[in-house]
Parts: sequence; C-alpha cells; structure tokens
Amino acid sequence: MDAFSAVLQGLPMTIVLTLSAFAIGIVGAVPLAVGLSSPNVVLRLACRLFVDLVRGVPIIVWLFLLKFGIQVGTFKFNPVGAAIVGLGVVSIAYLAEIYRGGLESVPRGQNEAADALGLTRGTTFLRVLVPQAFRIVSPSIATYLTGLLKDSSIASTIIVAEMVFQSQAFARQHPTMEGILPYVLVGILYIVLSLPVAYLSRSLDARMRKAVYA
Amino acid sequence: MTWLIEWAGYLPQLMSGLGVSLMIAGVSIVAGYPLGLVLSVMVQHRNLAVRTLGLAVVEIGRGAPALVILYLFYYGLPKFGIAFESITAACLALIWNSAAYSSEIMRAGMQSVARGQHEASAALGLSRGHTFFRVIMPQGMRSAIPGLMGVAIQMFQGTSLAYAIAVPELMKSAYNIGSQDFNYLQIFALAGICYAAISMPATWITVYFEKRLARHT
Amino acid sequence: MTLSEIANGKLAPRTGIRLDNISKRYGDHLVIDDVSLNVEPGTVTALIGPSGAGKSTFLRCINLLERPDSGTIQVDHHTIEPGKVINAKDLAALRRTVGMVFQSFNLFPHMSALKNISFPQQKVLGRSKEEADERALQLLERVGLKDKAHQHPGRCSGGQQQRIAIARALALDPSIMLFDEPTSALDPEVGLEVLAVMRELADDGMTMIVVTHEMQFARDVSDTLVVMADCRIIEQGDPRAIMSDPQEDRTRRFLRAVLER
Repeated sequence: MDAFSAVLQGLPMTIVLTLSAFAIGIVGAVPLAVGLSSPNVVLRLACRLFVDLVRGVPIIVWLFLLKFGIQVGTFKFNPVGAAIVGLGVVSIAYLAEIYRGGLESVPRGQNEAADALGLTRGTTFLRVLVPQAFRIVSPSIATYLTGLLKDSSIASTIIVAEMVFQSQAFARQHPTMEGILPYVLVGILYIVLSLPVAYLSRSLDARMRKAVYA
Repeated sequence: MTWLIEWAGYLPQLMSGLGVSLMIAGVSIVAGYPLGLVLSVMVQHRNLAVRTLGLAVVEIGRGAPALVILYLFYYGLPKFGIAFESITAACLALIWNSAAYSSEIMRAGMQSVARGQHEASAALGLSRGHTFFRVIMPQGMRSAIPGLMGVAIQMFQGTSLAYAIAVPELMKSAYNIGSQDFNYLQIFALAGICYAAISMPATWITVYFEKRLARHT
Repeated sequence: MTLSEIANGKLAPRTGIRLDNISKRYGDHLVIDDVSLNVEPGTVTALIGPSGAGKSTFLRCINLLERPDSGTIQVDHHTIEPGKVINAKDLAALRRTVGMVFQSFNLFPHMSALKNISFPQQKVLGRSKEEADERALQLLERVGLKDKAHQHPGRCSGGQQQRIAIARALALDPSIMLFDEPTSALDPEVGLEVLAVMRELADDGMTMIVVTHEMQFARDVSDTLVVMADCRIIEQGDPRAIMSDPQEDRTRRFLRAVLER
C-alpha cells in the first residue's frame, strides 16, 4: 500500500471527529453565550470561568482526562467517544466566546430601537440581535472549523485511527526514505481540506459585510 | 483531602515537567517572533519569489497541525539521516508554528496603520526603510501586541503535544506518574490545573491589553 | 388622507405628556437636574441648547431608554415613577404610546424597509402579516419611498433611512413622537426631506418633542421652544418671542453662536 492511500484511510475518521465536535459546539455554545452576556453577575462570571478554564487547558489533557480518568461504574470512554466529547466541549467554549463577541458588536442603537418600539427581550434577542451577530461572526466560525480540523489530529494520541494515526502507522512500517511521505502528505491534506472552508469564510465575510452594512 | 495530599506528592515531579514546557514555549517565542517579523515582511515583498517563499512557510506553519510538523521533524527527517533530539525537534516545530502565526498578526497590525501615515512619510521625503522601521512598524506592532500575547499562550499550550515524542514536559511527567499508580483522574486534573494556572491569568492580561488598546485608538 | 390618519387608521385621541422633577446622574455626574416639562396634546415642543446640556438624555428619559433616578412621568392616565420598580405592563404601555426616531436611524439592517415597518406591528400590536404589510406600504408611499419597500436599509441614503425610521415608529400608532436630532447625521439638503415629513406630521396634530439644531424648523413649526443648558431648562415659551428677545444671558449666547454660523 502506498503512503497516500494509507493516509486516506484515516480521512473518514478525521471528518467524523471534526464534524461531530463542531455540531456539539455550534449548539452547545448558544446557552453559554447567552450566559456570558447575561446581566446577572453570578451567572456571567460562572460562564466566564468555565470558558476560560476549558480554553486554558490543552486539548490533549482533556482527551487523556476523559479517556483514562473517567470511570463511572463500568462505563469508560472508548477512544473515539473521548475524542468527540473532548473536542466538542472545547468547541463549545471557543464558539461561545465567538458568539458573545458577535452579540456585543451589534451596535447599541439596535437594542435601543427595539426597546423604543416595545419589542420584548426575547423578540429583540432572536429576531434583531442574533441574525446580525450571526452575519458578523460567520467568518470566525468558519475559521474555527479549520482550527478544529487540525486539532482533531490530537485524537491520534489516544489511539483514534484518524489521518495522523494512519500516517504514523505507515511510517513505522517503512523505515526507509519513503517513511517521510505520509507526514508530508497528511500536512498537505490538512491544508487542502481547509481551503474550501477558508474560501467560504472569505466569501461569507465579503457577502455578510455587504448584507449588513452596505 | 486525600486528593490534596496526593497532589502535594505529585507536584515536584510535575514542576520539573512544567519547567521544560515553559522552556520550550520560551524558545519558540524568542526565536519565532523575529522570524515571524521577517516572514511578515516577505509576504508583502515586491519580489514574487520572496513573496511566494514567505507565503509557503507561513501557510504550512499555520495550515498543518502542530502535531504533524512535530512528527515531521522527529520521525520524518531522520529517514533522510537528519536526526534531532526530541526536545530539539519540539522546539523547531513550535518555532515554525509561532513564526507563522505571529507573522500573520504582525502583517495585519502593519496593514492596519492608516494610509495617511505612508503618504505623510512620502511627503516628508523619508526613505522606504525609515518609513517602515520608524513610522509603520512601531504603530503596527502596538496593535499586534494582544494578538502576539495570544500566540504566546497558544505556544505554551502547544508544548503539551511534545508529549507525543516523549519530551519530558508537563504532560509527559503527568502520564508517567499516572502509569505508575493509575490515578489518571487526579494526575491529569492536576496537570490541567497547572496549565490553566498559567494560561488563564495570561488570557486575562491579554484581554486587559486588548481593551486598553481599543480605548486608545 | 394625512400622515397621522394613515398611521392611526383613524385619528387617535390626542395625548399630552407631563414630566415632573426628572433627575438623572451617572455616578457622581449629574446630567438631568430636576427638570419638569408639560407638553399639551397636539403641540410641537422643540428642545434646543448647547451640546452636553442633557437634551438627548432628557428625551431618552421620556420613554425610559434612560432610567431617571427620580421624578414622575404622566401619560395617558398612566403615572410612572422611574425611581421605583416599573412593572412590565406600564413600560409596554408607555412605549406603545410613545414613538421614537433616532439620530442614527437604527433601522434593522438585516430586514427590508417593508419588514422593518411591518415586523414590529406584528410583534407589538399582534397584527396579521397582511395587515401590517399593507399599513407599511401605505406609510412608505406617504413618505415617498414606496419603491424602496424591498430594499435593505444599507441600499438607502441617510435621508431615505430616516424617513423609513419615521414610518416604522408611526406604524405602531403612537400618540406622541420623540425625535432625537433626526437630521444631525444628514447633509443639509437631505435633511430637508426629513423635515418636510416632520412638518406634515405636526400639521396633522401629532404631539411631538424634537431635540434639534435646526433653528428654522424650531421657529416655524414648534409651538413651544425649550432651551436647555447645564442639565436644566433655562427658558421656555413662544419660539419667536424667545428667538427675538431671549430673557436669559445663556440663551442669548447660544442663539448668537448658532445664528451667526
């Protein structure tokens, strides 16, 4: 088997990890972002502490903690489960911070206009603030997705058979010069995979700017 | 309580690991940022070859996972007879990483300097070199400071990946302790706290600088 | 039909508003110092004065965008004491009675002009989409912007945006309209089209309070001129009388500075 098809064997798992964690993050970050911008000081600080703590600990530590540290009765995480949950929780924290930034960057006048019109807080949040915030942050979300794609490689350290793990396996079996190939190929593959997302992000950026402010 | 006592027993070993982590992070920043500055100038250069080379180095450094670059240095290059000690490989990989990320932040900082500054310098007859080093760079660097602090935190956290090539840093020390007595939960929790104890205050300081900068511009 | 008839369906009962002893401070900094103002139904009150006098803050206290620390607001048989707890019902009633137009328009950028006007009607008054859209189109036609109905605000000029914002406020059938420097962000020429709409609204008998730097408008359209300086009202009365013969030295200095420009 050649190096490229060895690396490709890990591609489905890389995509599964990335998209599962992303899905968890996109949804889970919503209540956390609301908490981060809550007028209630206790709630806001608790959410802030959670976000900063999750982001303050390297991903590899979270993965090892989940994989080896968690045992409830007979339940233990398998490697894929630990990787998805770990990357998912980290995504929640990062995306919540992105959402919060978006909500804060909606001009204050929007809130005031909604107040003056007598819209309720719920309507103001869902129909006025969120749509604008989403347009503002969607490029950052796309950028985060490319980051998550790269971070999914860390799952190889807890023996998840994604691309980097497969590269390692191939390289071990090929002590010759050929053994460097999988590392080069997998590096290129990550860059290639993030190109469409980066492109999407850039065109979203331009389009959203036009849609909101033009 | 028993946790605290065990943690106290683990700490000395972890601290020596933390020292190694901080050392690697320090090296990657001290060597990486000047390289980043060079790269940021290269990607804006008029010469296509220089620009392309700069872009390639930056895009690989940012686009490939740090772990892959780490493996490339530690497992890949020896197959061509270029072998490094694990700690050297870790430093080299993270230097590339930090140079690539910091270059983007410095470039953005310099591009954020108002056009009028270029025009004023040209009108005053300043040379290109003077314009860059005395007018543009000082202003651009100022707005790059929070971003560079962010990269520094990212590098510190990135040192944990060196575990994968058996560098005796914080994560590796934790793993070694854990595999002796299987107290994985405690030891990784403690390791996490050690990382957070540095990253979290550093993040808060960064946010403070960001806000100060936003106020002053 | 006139502008306010379209807005109200029928002519709404005219409402006045009475503010007593309104005070507001930010920390140690006093911004409104015990200000009282009575606005008769169907009249136009122009609020002028040097910047930093507290005009905008005072205006924003009327619909509680700023919460005064003390004082009372009486509108439409409701009495609100902002220094105390305000229940949601009173607040909603107040905001339904009082419409507001901002200096920076504050249209919702992600909605078309039509949606900007029809969406609040559906949410606040519970109108059906058809009814709200129809009303929105009538108002847009009236302010001369029917062809902009499906454009987003970003595609409209400042003057057009401000006219859409006026239509948005009118669509909720307010009996009092607040204008916070509605033309300050506009070129003088463009400001005229906004002033024309406001003038028409005044002729229809809408109760209006207008913070403005447009002296011509204040003189020609307002029934009462109120001069604010240093967080207080220093003079009020007939606009022509005050402009030709101000009683207060501070008013005289301000008017001279504005008129000599």
